[in-house]
Amino acid sequence: MSAIPDDLIDVVCKAADEEAADADERASFPVGALAALRETRLLGALVPAEHGGPGATMSDVVDVTMRLARADMSVALIYAMHCQQTLTLVHHAGDELAREVLPALARGDLYLGSVTTEPGATASLFVAESRAHAEQGRTLIDRMAPIVTGGTHADGYLITMRTPDAGSPSQVDLLYAGRDELTVEVKGGWNPLGMRATESVPMAFRGAVPASHTVGEPGCFADIAKATFIPAAHTGWAAAWLGAAAGALSRVAKHLRGGKQAPSELVLARLGDIRTELDCVHAMLRHAVAEFSPGDTSATGSFQALVNSLKITAAVRCYAAVDAMVDLVGLRHGYLLGSPLRLDRTLRDLRSASLNYANDKLRLANGALALMDTGTRLA
Amino acid sequence: MDSRLLDVLRRHLRYAGPSAIDQDASLRDLGLNSMQAIELLFDVESEFGIEVPDELLTEQTFATAATLWSAIARVSGTGGAAMPRVP
Repeated sequence: MSAIPDDLIDVVCKAADEEAADADERASFPVGALAALRETRLLGALVPAEHGGPGATMSDVVDVTMRLARADMSVALIYAMHCQQTLTLVHHAGDELAREVLPALARGDLYLGSVTTEPGATASLFVAESRAHAEQGRTLIDRMAPIVTGGTHADGYLITMRTPDAGSPSQVDLLYAGRDELTVEVKGGWNPLGMRATESVPMAFRGAVPASHTVGEPGCFADIAKATFIPAAHTGWAAAWLGAAAGALSRVAKHLRGGKQAPSELVLARLGDIRTELDCVHAMLRHAVAEFSPGDTSATGSFQALVNSLKITAAVRCYAAVDAMVDLVGLRHGYLLGSPLRLDRTLRDLRSASLNYANDKLRLANGALALMDTGTRLA
Repeated sequence: MDSRLLDVLRRHLRYAGPSAIDQDASLRDLGLNSMQAIELLFDVESEFGIEVPDELLTEQTFATAATLWSAIARVSGTGGAAMPRVP
């Protein structure tokens, strides 16, 4: 049984729905939805009971994310990424840091931002150009990030930095920093095609945190990434994209039911194909979540390939499904900005899916994983 | 350890620098990612005339020069001892 009551999810969906059009138009953060996520304590869903949370699982988070995405895909992405950060802290933070942040998360007092992007061409989670410095038991942070989802609204951040005194850029630390420990500066604007309400602005961060704020062992972010951070991102994103596409299909189906006569066989067959696509993504998502053991640093290459495949497949198919819906309902209902079916916004939102950690990069990784597993042991 | 392995490794470790590669240094820290690991695997197999089976293609095998050497030695049946040591 889900650890998250339906009526709490309803409260957030209502708030998200009410401000979605305005947040999209102004490319501004959905502050009402965030307030509802705090009040309902859905922000702390993954926090275990010992730290005051309901101890929900990724499967529960996927349920919530899919529901939120029907109202506003940006809100779903914001929630999924916050949960990705939370899950990482639950499984990898030391005792001292866990006692500091998990109860606050459970109370809804802590919305977490992710600071993993860096300027420049490398754009790999496993490499950090910005170097942290150690000074009198504290870790100094000074870095820029070109894309920080909800960064101006976050109460704390998980930040990747090169390990102090690292011999190479592939020694990366994950650091927790409270907003009050940092000077944060917005370095530019945000005016994208879709997922506009994520307000993913460029930002600069400067400050110092105690050594206990290093999540996991120094230099070992790659292990955390494989065990928890990446699978949580890919399953969370896939849930947001699938929820958005499912919401669109639901609106299209209601629209067709409202017509004077039954749709043609051509329309029915196309509708059936779209449904099949969403069922395939859903099956893959549920399977990946079932195989996911957060915190398990011995995750196999087969599992890594599976979550990469999920991310690629969900990004491509959810977008294609909504694109096909536009053809199905035609120009007047599917292509006009602000039409009641909202396919225009959903299509713009979903166009981001293949770029949000580039599909091409994951294809390469999966090619390498396939050659390392000539027996093709599928997870 | 065969010096040929260190020569092969150097071609794939962008952060290894000019000094000798420590046999117990983390290859990941020296710049080996999953994409480079596959290129390294092809080079190792052609250099030593071996085929590394799937069960040895783990993160543990690619952890350090020493662990990679022990896998190569196991596959080539030498036990490692018959290969010339690095001076």
